[in-house]
Amino acid sequence: MPGLERILLAACLALASVPACAAGWGVEDLMRELAAVESSQARFVERKYLRMLKAPLEQSGTLSYSRPGRLERRTLKPRPETLSVSGDTLVLESPARNERRVLKLRDYPVLWGFVESIRGTLGGDLPALERFYRVELEGARSQWRLDLVPRERAMGEVISLIRIAGGGARIHTIEVQEARGDRSVMKIEAQQP
Amino acid sequence: MSISARGRVGVWLAGLVACAIVVARSDYGADLAAFLPSSPSPVQRFLVGELREGVASRLALIGIEGAAETVLAGASRAMLERLRGDEAFAYATNGAGDSLRADGRFLLRNRYLLSPDVAPERFSVAGIRAGLERQLDLLGSPAGMLVGDLIARDPTGEMLGLADRLQGAGHGPDKREGVWFSADGRRALLVAQTRAPGFDIDAQERALGRIRAAFADAARESGATAAKLVVTGPGVFAVESRAGIKRDALRFSLLGTVLVAGILLLVYRSLPVLGLTLVPVASGALAGIAAVSLAFGSVHGVTIGFGATLIGESVDYAIYLFTNTAPGSRPQAALQRIWPTLRLGMLTSAFGFGAMLFSGFPGLAQLGLFSIAGLVVAVYVTRWVLPGLVPRDYHVRVVAGLGPALVRLLAAARRLRPAVGLLAVAAVALLALKGPTVWDDELSSLSPVPLSVQRLDQQMRADLGAPDIGPMVIVSGRTQQEALEAAEQVGAALAALQGRGVLEGYDSPAFYLPSEAAQRRRQQAIPPAPALRANLAQAAAGLPFRAGTFAPFLEDAQAAAAQAPVTDRDLAGTGIALKLQALLGQRGGAWHATLPLRGVRDADAVREALAAFGDSAVLLDMKRELDGLYHGYRLRALGFALLGALAIAVLLGLALRSARRSADVLAPLVAAVLVTAALLVAVGTRLNIFHLVALLLVVGVGSNYTLFFERGSPGAADPGRTATSVLFCNLATVAGFGVLGFASTPVLGAIGTTVAIGALLSLAFAVVLAAAPVQARATAG
Repeated sequence: MPGLERILLAACLALASVPACAAGWGVEDLMRELAAVESSQARFVERKYLRMLKAPLEQSGTLSYSRPGRLERRTLKPRPETLSVSGDTLVLESPARNERRVLKLRDYPVLWGFVESIRGTLGGDLPALERFYRVELEGARSQWRLDLVPRERAMGEVISLIRIAGGGARIHTIEVQEARGDRSVMKIEAQQP
Repeated sequence: MSISARGRVGVWLAGLVACAIVVARSDYGADLAAFLPSSPSPVQRFLVGELREGVASRLALIGIEGAAETVLAGASRAMLERLRGDEAFAYATNGAGDSLRADGRFLLRNRYLLSPDVAPERFSVAGIRAGLERQLDLLGSPAGMLVGDLIARDPTGEMLGLADRLQGAGHGPDKREGVWFSADGRRALLVAQTRAPGFDIDAQERALGRIRAAFADAARESGATAAKLVVTGPGVFAVESRAGIKRDALRFSLLGTVLVAGILLLVYRSLPVLGLTLVPVASGALAGIAAVSLAFGSVHGVTIGFGATLIGESVDYAIYLFTNTAPGSRPQAALQRIWPTLRLGMLTSAFGFGAMLFSGFPGLAQLGLFSIAGLVVAVYVTRWVLPGLVPRDYHVRVVAGLGPALVRLLAAARRLRPAVGLLAVAAVALLALKGPTVWDDELSSLSPVPLSVQRLDQQMRADLGAPDIGPMVIVSGRTQQEALEAAEQVGAALAALQGRGVLEGYDSPAFYLPSEAAQRRRQQAIPPAPALRANLAQAAAGLPFRAGTFAPFLEDAQAAAAQAPVTDRDLAGTGIALKLQALLGQRGGAWHATLPLRGVRDADAVREALAAFGDSAVLLDMKRELDGLYHGYRLRALGFALLGALAIAVLLGLALRSARRSADVLAPLVAAVLVTAALLVAVGTRLNIFHLVALLLVVGVGSNYTLFFERGSPGAADPGRTATSVLFCNLATVAGFGVLGFASTPVLGAIGTTVAIGALLSLAFAVVLAAAPVQARATAG
């Protein structure tokens, strides 16, 4: 079917800015692979580079994810603190501050978008990602990079770019660049369950 | 004779016209205050004021349902725009961000004057250090995203504290598409507050019309043609219950009238005579309303509801007259025979209701006056006007053999006497067993609003996170400032109780608008610029903050120290203004601050702590207080009903001049009332004031039956005709009230069911208990 081939070729040419297309491996393929993961556990180290601070703040702990839509970030150092998201509910618990906050993500669109960037990627949920971001994929299956640029102005005023890098169905780093110059980098190391 | 008859008709017609004029000019109200004692305590007066015109009484809860989420959200926005542009509403919101942003701006600008945490220690080296450490901790945590750059302006964290307090225990309604939604996402929610007080039903009705029109426009504009509007709230209830009672009363009176008219037509076989039966009824009702209007200045909706009950008794008068007119004789002759019984029956009822006249509750007194005026007029119209209007030579042709058949039945009924006794004993046993639980002491049981609508309201309230009326502290002062200062002092006591775990939390108008004194104290707690800068530098030593980070804080603090105090004008356009309005108000020359309490575990401990404030702070459990008021009302009504019963017994004793005969008349009635009450309780009904009044009516209607069957009654001379006449009356009553029993308006339903059962039992018991003498006369004659 030479006709069909030509059309496909034309489509690839039109989308030439997406290198993955040329390799025959695209964002849908990545999402399919990510969506196949039922649950995952990982250790993380996060560094926050804030303008108002002279030195970066470092936190470390564990991340866990299970389909569909459950995400937990358990900080162990420097102080134990847990953030867990399930559906529309976000719970933030800090024994040190003697606090427990329950938030509805719908009430905090920026926070919601941020949560969805991680949860949507882990779940391979492209519609969820595209609801908040323009999604661009670079690289190959073994080593890819997903750039998320906020669509909404309100969110764009807080976050300018979220860059998620990984290989296969694993995420290696999540980098968040805030609009006002603050930045955080989270390195993730898979843990065998 | 014929001239005087014509004269009587003239007087009657003139009276009718006069009554009609009064009725047409009357005010009709549904003011709850009518059900409260006429000399209330200060707490009760506050309650009534709150119910009549408080902010809560002005709220309309609006829901849009039946379309997709995005469509509903669009309709909600379009509708809000219209409500906001409408003069009838002081405030309207659907939770969309604008008021939230306005709230945030207000809080940020005035945080140092609003925060109760602002005190000199807050700005000491140790105080600032504690704040900075906390902020550093927050910055590292995921919660840091929520605070962001605010830290530079607010290192002591006043905003977070204020926001937490504002949120209280709940976290507001769910939001979808940026506007409020029910938890299940099927209904978009809005809230509007009318300018008119809740008791002004006409204004509330207009406001409801505007809400409906706004919805219709919004639905058209946003393409939500399939969407449905639901509205609840006190004002809506008042409007709808007035309309509902009108509609129900009309529909069921019509149905009842058709049924009764059908029965009577079978008996009378004459349309004009059927029409005549209604003459005393209509005259009585008109006179009753006119009398109440003249004596009280306005007529309560519930009183009108009882109009239906009056028909039950006054329709009987004409039936007695017509069915007792023997062939070949004139109605006057029959009247002469039955008049003493008729009059005694009327007096019995009037005595029963008369007790209510003196009850001290305007609502009950209206009811009493209405019934008495109505009955007196109805019986005298029957006596003086009706006979002149009856067509010449008219008499009721009773089905042949019905009379004798009834008499045989009566004779047989005698055997059932022990059964009546047993039934009465069983009824007493059941009522005694259930004790006080037979009564429904919740004020909502009086509400003319159908249960399904009450449930909808509860659902919407829950979805909106609007707490039910719970315990609260009411603090008063002569001026706004005095009330706020008192609220702050009481608040301090409540905070101490909160610390001890006596209660979970409380809200106070002083959180949103502190007294000027408190604001000045907080301003004075802010150190002068050089001192604050020095404290900050010392506190930040060793922490990783860059130099100059907190310059905005230093600026804001100095500005706060110099700013003019916050007044309620600064709140314009914020959601906080609505909250403040609900908690702080002026009425009757005094200012009242309301401090709602959450999760009270020990009310006595709260009361004890408040004792220090004397009369200026009162713990009020709105629902308990209202139910308590109603309980008292019901108790008094019961007392007056019993007093009425006593008056009836005395009246009968005097009229019949025989204790034995009085007992004969009363025994079936007592049994009927007891068994009716027991039957209602047995099927799970909890009795309220309407049942009580209906039982009084049973006594009124039933006394006619027993009087006619009583041994000395003139009716005993012609037992067949008497039995027929009473049977038709009873059929008419049971049919009329039985139909009313199906009304969805609780008032009408309760009265209908009770009277229908009670009347049937009264007749049955009258027959069984009076059977012997009737039969004796019948065989003798």
